[in-house]
Amino acid sequence: MNNILYNNLPLLILNQIVSLLYLFTAILYGVHFFSENNRAKTYKQPFLAVTVLMHVVYLGLLTSTEGYKLGYSTFNLMTMVAVTLTITYLFVEFTTKSDRTGFFIISFATGAQLISSILTALTPNTGITFSGIGIGVHLIASIFGFSAIAIAGLYSILYLLLFRQIQKNRFDLLFQRLPSLEVLEMLTMHAVAFGFVFLSITLFAGIIEQQASGKVISLFEPKMITLIVIWLLYGASIFVKPLIGWDLKHMAYLFIFLFLFVTVLIVFMTFFSPTFHRIPF
Amino acid sequence: MNIISVGVNHKTAPIEIRERISLTETQNKEFISGLISSGLAHEAMVVSTCNRTELYVVPAMHEVTGEFLKEYLISYKDARNEVRPEHFFGRFYCGTARHLFEVSSAIDSLILGEGQILGQVKNAYRIAAETQAAGILLTRLCHTAFSVAKKVKTKTKIMEGAVSVSYAAVELAQKIFLNLSVKKMLLIGAGETGELAAKHMFQKNARNIVITNRTQSKAEALAEELGTNKVLPFETFKEHLHEFDIIITAVSTKDYILTEAEMHQSMMKRKLKPVIILDLGLPRNVDPDIGKLQNMFLKDIDALKHIIDKNLERRRSELPKVKAIIDEELVGFAQWINTLKVRPTIVDLQSKFIEIKEKELERYRYKVSEEELQRMEHLTDRILKKILHHPIKMLKAPIDTADSIPSRVNLVRNIFDLEEPNQSY
Repeated sequence: MNNILYNNLPLLILNQIVSLLYLFTAILYGVHFFSENNRAKTYKQPFLAVTVLMHVVYLGLLTSTEGYKLGYSTFNLMTMVAVTLTITYLFVEFTTKSDRTGFFIISFATGAQLISSILTALTPNTGITFSGIGIGVHLIASIFGFSAIAIAGLYSILYLLLFRQIQKNRFDLLFQRLPSLEVLEMLTMHAVAFGFVFLSITLFAGIIEQQASGKVISLFEPKMITLIVIWLLYGASIFVKPLIGWDLKHMAYLFIFLFLFVTVLIVFMTFFSPTFHRIPF
Repeated sequence: MNIISVGVNHKTAPIEIRERISLTETQNKEFISGLISSGLAHEAMVVSTCNRTELYVVPAMHEVTGEFLKEYLISYKDARNEVRPEHFFGRFYCGTARHLFEVSSAIDSLILGEGQILGQVKNAYRIAAETQAAGILLTRLCHTAFSVAKKVKTKTKIMEGAVSVSYAAVELAQKIFLNLSVKKMLLIGAGETGELAAKHMFQKNARNIVITNRTQSKAEALAEELGTNKVLPFETFKEHLHEFDIIITAVSTKDYILTEAEMHQSMMKRKLKPVIILDLGLPRNVDPDIGKLQNMFLKDIDALKHIIDKNLERRRSELPKVKAIIDEELVGFAQWINTLKVRPTIVDLQSKFIEIKEKELERYRYKVSEEELQRMEHLTDRILKKILHHPIKMLKAPIDTADSIPSRVNLVRNIFDLEEPNQSY
């Protein structure tokens, strides 16, 4: 299937606008975090909301050109990661009233969206498309799952940074601006729980869809192995804390490892196994 | 018309001089009453705290200068042998206003941005007002100072961050724990330092505070004061160490009161849940090796001073913003003072025209009906208002320099043939 954006200038412009909005929102969050600028504080949340709205509109228009079918390609995957990360963060910001970690999450989302925009311009083929509730749930849940893994990894990095700052009596910017260790721990564990739920949905939706279509995916198929391994590791990590008594410092290392592991696997599979599961769709 | 300020503070004199010249509330009242009743000053106020004794005076005669007021205060305190005029600072007019604005905003304080000074300035104004020593000038000056302080507090971060060891301890605890109200805290030592730390923790919602002290009655007294009523016997508190998330020690002891082995055992019992130990004792109360235990945050006074230094650094970086607010308010205050100088002329001008109106109307009192006279009076009032509108507007217009005021005033006085004013402001 050809790249729709090649022949659709308004959509291509909207794609670039969405990327610029992400960039600008990340800058606003950064300015507020590093310099406590009042204007940045006032405008960052409205800009985040506008960015999400524009992104959803863009995705709606993008899929509408193909009869609201989801396309499986690296740039679609990255743009979905960006939007799910941002929606998840927006939810966290509204519910916890803590906006001190936004810069780190939004920056990651911005990176994903920028990669998506660049790949959009470079990739002539958008890959195969899918329709149907089962496959839609499977794909969206997997992207939300990855976003949760990313958020847990990023919060774990912030936790370790703050932990080290306190231990070493370095009461600098991160000490002053980040929320407490307990808040970071809570945010991390919530993200892990969400991640596990979404990965479970991904698995079950995939199984149901496979049975409905009557097509068989091998358990040794690379993406299947990856998903099952990540699901098992995340599931285990939820129980490691209460059962083995690991503190969040050790858990943080695990979540950072998982985040890097998943990211590397996704990049690896994107380049070396760029199709969906090896079944004839 | 002038406002003079003279005084001693932490920048101009050592503590023994400041102590010698300070005034109690009774002395304050007596001193400013004396200045007013003797005809030396129209208005007077004294700000007297542990770090400063400062007079703010609107003099009633030319002889009352800054030097005169310094000598007057030294004589009042009978401190000629210890205190000399060189120990004082002196300001006048806008310099006085700027100084009071800086004092009220806490940028002139020994600890930059400390929160008590505004209350002390308000108290000084209250005393002056009660003694009938605060007139239009000091009232305006003080209210502007209060407004400056409020703006500084809300628009800058000059008062943010802990700058005392006990507050720094609370700040640190809040960086580790989300909600102090659900954390259990042990205070070892019910002395002044421990008491201060416990009170600050209490202010930040720590409610589960248990106190232990060698003298149990002191622990009980502090527990009662805090309203927690939780005390542990000093001999047995170590059996309960694992129950506490925050431990504050502030006792005088040669040996460590908590050892690494004891805390290791305690950490095992609490399944390595994080603990913060704040060692406020000097010499230190806690074995420094405890800090190496997993999930243990051990902080002594030196570590807490790092927090204070960082916060003071942040406060200092806010100084340009504070000074900009002060400059802005100072311009407004100076313009207001300048309008005071034209006020007698405006009053005279209005009186003169009212007098003319009344004389002219009097001639018609018995020639027209009561109803017609009322209409004429109404009409002349409206005409006068329109005639005087422009001259008054010109007099009240913002004035850049005080030098241009006399020429404006003289112009209006000459045109309308007004008598020389006899008021000072």
